Amino acid sequence: MRKVFLPRDMAELWSAMADEPAARVYAGGTDLLVAMRAGTVVAPALICLERLAELQGVREEGEEIWLGAATTHAALLSNPLVGRHLPLLVQALRTLGSPPIRNMGTIGGNICTASPAGDTLPPLYVLAAEVELQSPGGRRRLPLRDFIAGPGQTRLETGEILTGVRVRKPVDANCHRFEKIGQRQALACCIVSMAALLTVTPAGVVASIRLAWGSVGPTVMEAPAAEAALTGSFMTRENLHRAAVFVRQAVAPIDDIRASAAYRREVAGNLLLRLLPG
Amino acid sequence: MTTRPPKIGRDFLRPDAPAKAAGVEKYAVDHYGENLLWAGVRRAGVPHGLIRRVDAAAARSLPGVRAVLTGGDVPGTNRQGIVHKDQPVLCDAKVRYAGDPVALVLAADRETLRRALALIEVDIAPLPGVFTIDDALNHDAPRLHEDHPGGNALLQATIEAGDGAKALAECDVVVTETFTVPIQAHAFLETENGIARREEDGRIVIIVSTQAPFRDRWEVSHALGLPMDGIRVIAPYLGGGFGGKDGATVQCLLALAAMHADGRWVKMWWDREESFQAGYKRHAARLHYHLGAKADGTLHALHCRVYYDTGAYAHLGGEVMALGMEHAGGPYRIPHTRIEGWCLYTNNPVAGAMRGFGVMQVSFAFESMMDILAARLRLDPLEIRRKNALRVGDRNSAGVLMTSSTGIGACLDAIADHPLWKDRAVWKAAAGPNKRRGVGLAAVFNAMGYGRGLPDTAVAKLEITPTGRFVVYSGVADMGQGNATAFVQIAGAALNQEEGMIDLVQPDTDRTLPSGSAAASRTTYTYGNALIRACQDMRRRILGRASMLLLVDRLEDLGLLPGRVRHPATGREIPLAMLAATLTTPERFCVYQYLMPVVPDPPATGKAFKIGFPHLLFSYGCHLALVEADELTGETTVRDYLAVTEAGRILNPQTSVQQVQGAIAQGIGYALHEDLQVEGGIVQTDDLGKYIIPTALDLPDIRAVFAQAYEETGPFGMKGLGEVASNGPLPAIANALADAGAARIFRSPLTPERVLASLQQGPGM
Repeated sequence: MRKVFLPRDMAELWSAMADEPAARVYAGGTDLLVAMRAGTVVAPALICLERLAELQGVREEGEEIWLGAATTHAALLSNPLVGRHLPLLVQALRTLGSPPIRNMGTIGGNICTASPAGDTLPPLYVLAAEVELQSPGGRRRLPLRDFIAGPGQTRLETGEILTGVRVRKPVDANCHRFEKIGQRQALACCIVSMAALLTVTPAGVVASIRLAWGSVGPTVMEAPAAEAALTGSFMTRENLHRAAVFVRQAVAPIDDIRASAAYRREVAGNLLLRLLPG
Repeated sequence: MTTRPPKIGRDFLRPDAPAKAAGVEKYAVDHYGENLLWAGVRRAGVPHGLIRRVDAAAARSLPGVRAVLTGGDVPGTNRQGIVHKDQPVLCDAKVRYAGDPVALVLAADRETLRRALALIEVDIAPLPGVFTIDDALNHDAPRLHEDHPGGNALLQATIEAGDGAKALAECDVVVTETFTVPIQAHAFLETENGIARREEDGRIVIIVSTQAPFRDRWEVSHALGLPMDGIRVIAPYLGGGFGGKDGATVQCLLALAAMHADGRWVKMWWDREESFQAGYKRHAARLHYHLGAKADGTLHALHCRVYYDTGAYAHLGGEVMALGMEHAGGPYRIPHTRIEGWCLYTNNPVAGAMRGFGVMQVSFAFESMMDILAARLRLDPLEIRRKNALRVGDRNSAGVLMTSSTGIGACLDAIADHPLWKDRAVWKAAAGPNKRRGVGLAAVFNAMGYGRGLPDTAVAKLEITPTGRFVVYSGVADMGQGNATAFVQIAGAALNQEEGMIDLVQPDTDRTLPSGSAAASRTTYTYGNALIRACQDMRRRILGRASMLLLVDRLEDLGLLPGRVRHPATGREIPLAMLAATLTTPERFCVYQYLMPVVPDPPATGKAFKIGFPHLLFSYGCHLALVEADELTGETTVRDYLAVTEAGRILNPQTSVQQVQGAIAQGIGYALHEDLQVEGGIVQTDDLGKYIIPTALDLPDIRAVFAQAYEETGPFGMKGLGEVASNGPLPAIANALADAGAARIFRSPLTPERVLASLQQGPGM
């Protein structure tokens, strides 16, 4: 038997966390429960964050959108604010798992799992997301790229939880693209993914560009050199090919059961070509 | 439910569909018992070694553990196997693959079972492993089965026809290539499981997810030294089988457990990981081909060497390879052939039966070779196939004379006339940016039945109840393929009775009669033939009794109508309920045994095959895949798919389309995704997150049409079609990728990584 806590307010949460310091805290459980079944994670107790109203929902706060950490992927997908302001995240969420997984899994869970293959992470990186962290001692904010420390590792401190993630509305962007290569069209762990957020002038010049890749390094990978090469350039096949060289230099993929490092490196660059209009 | 008698050739809804859709149909896995014990197996975990010690003391002392059994506790021979009895129920001295069972635990609940299994200390002295085809061919390799005279070759065989390989010298062109295919897993929804109990009279009852309940009884009897009539096997509907439940999985272990359970029910249910690690698999294979033709494209000679990795135990490995070899030349006329095969023991998971049964492997080779040859000769790939397609009166590449329905030509003609083929250039030219499109063909065939040497027989049993209803006692399991549906349809049509008047009993060795395995595309053909004749007997018996009751002195003056017998001349009728009440018990039953015909004069080749060669009847198919490949990622999408199948007359279009579509879905998985990876004997892809089967989003709409024929020996003219369509997708998609301008791929699955490399390499031959 294992204790499972379902705190309904923050006081109950802090009390449960104080009583069960070895407990695993989760929201969704689509990674944790699989790992527990496989025996790779041993959890003497579980604390579920899904009943906490403070961690639920989506809010528009001026220039920012706040996403509650325990909001499910399905809820985000059907949320009009997300649909209107964060089409990049919507594209990524549509590729995440399957309907049952999206009904169960949460964005906070996807962030805290900190898998290089986490489908929401590349979009959140290019959206310059910040995470909101809370503990009985207070709150703090951290850029997402600083929060994620390595594969499966975050800077979450003992006694601290992730309550939400905050992104600025990408008001200037006129091209939002998420591309994901998996071993099949659904229920697929990412082999390579790319999130791109661009502002392209009517003349076809890249005014600004943010790019990030999943599954090609220990965490989400970025390629400032590729971004620099494209900024101020026309969106042509040749320019994208040239920038792709920088991408392949920037990523650090590994071989695994799904694909080789060489393939991931190649395709990480190639995905830039998907940005070509039409 | 229809209120009129079913018609042959019309859609007939599965009678089992409502109960399955509502979730009330009980599969084996839905069976529990009061005071149930759970049984589980501790597996070796090392692929090859000698057992020094199995210490179960700690496990035995765990509260809730009922018994821990090891090899020494197995009565009888402790050996199972369909053809060769080489597989221990519990290993006694040696382990030959990582999934080999070394101890059996009975416990009060699943958690205790899990803990007890972990507490067993297994000390195995490792032996060097044999993990590849080349390892197994090495004469210095350690032998898996010391007593086997062939060393690590379970079977080595040759089929030769005409002048054999010598005729390659007479060809204007010879193409030579090597193909490699991986292990495929069945990945059925319902994993291997069952429940068993020893009754008060000492008999063992097993309810199990199985394709061969009657053979199971014999396996258990042999392995555990129990009398055959002391074992009852019940086979409910299966949640998928595909060949993986043709052969003992949990049966002997469950019966052994039941012998130590004091009359309590014992349940064993492999989880998904255990199914991947210990369940039977499709053979990985390597295929070396030399195909020679005349300048006009006439096939002249084939020489091939095929190697099948059969894993640690024989199972049906030799028979699987035999069928692959029999099909190695495709559905073509090739006068001179030499087909050599090696079926090899390795320390990999046990390979056995799987839909297509050895034929899927060679289909990739011969249909790729046909396109390579067509390209070399600058011939149209459809025309080279039509030119060489088998016809009645030809000999196939195994030297067998084709005497029955041989419809590959009709399948090819149907493709030629189809808009998808005729308009292919337009479709290809419409590829979007960074995409390339190609169109590929595959002409395939698949034998039906067990082949010579193993009688393919079924015994139908039909009852009219005292209230005038009918009961069909099916002796062949239904794993979803729909044979139970066919039996109700056949009985309804043959007896002119409404579906609602017919009940069907699933296989039960106490109630139904031995009718072979649900395998070899044979179930509806063989049992259906027996059932039609039992229905004819029943009809005569009913009319005979009616003749007495109605005082009509000629049977032909009477008609059997739904629920009644009528004398049309006078309009007099007698309800079946009234008639049946006058029948004594022996009169109420009709039993008929049917034996499938065989090749009357087999060619003097393939002498190494003791059973299963050659075959008389084949179903045919021609497939067309419209494929799009992504130049940036190598992702391959099947955009459209057409399959034309000749399987005699189609009894039930709906279930026939379902069978073809299901086979193609599994075949597309084999083509694009599925690859059971084994490293050093350990399965790496042991869950459905790592072993990739296609989802609905990975499959195109599959157009399944039929080139109907009439098989003279078939029930209402049908032949089996459970397997033939699975052979088409891999070669059709591989040919489509080559047509799209990719370098030809000789190793499957056709992953994005391989496709990207071949797209970058560019067109080859």
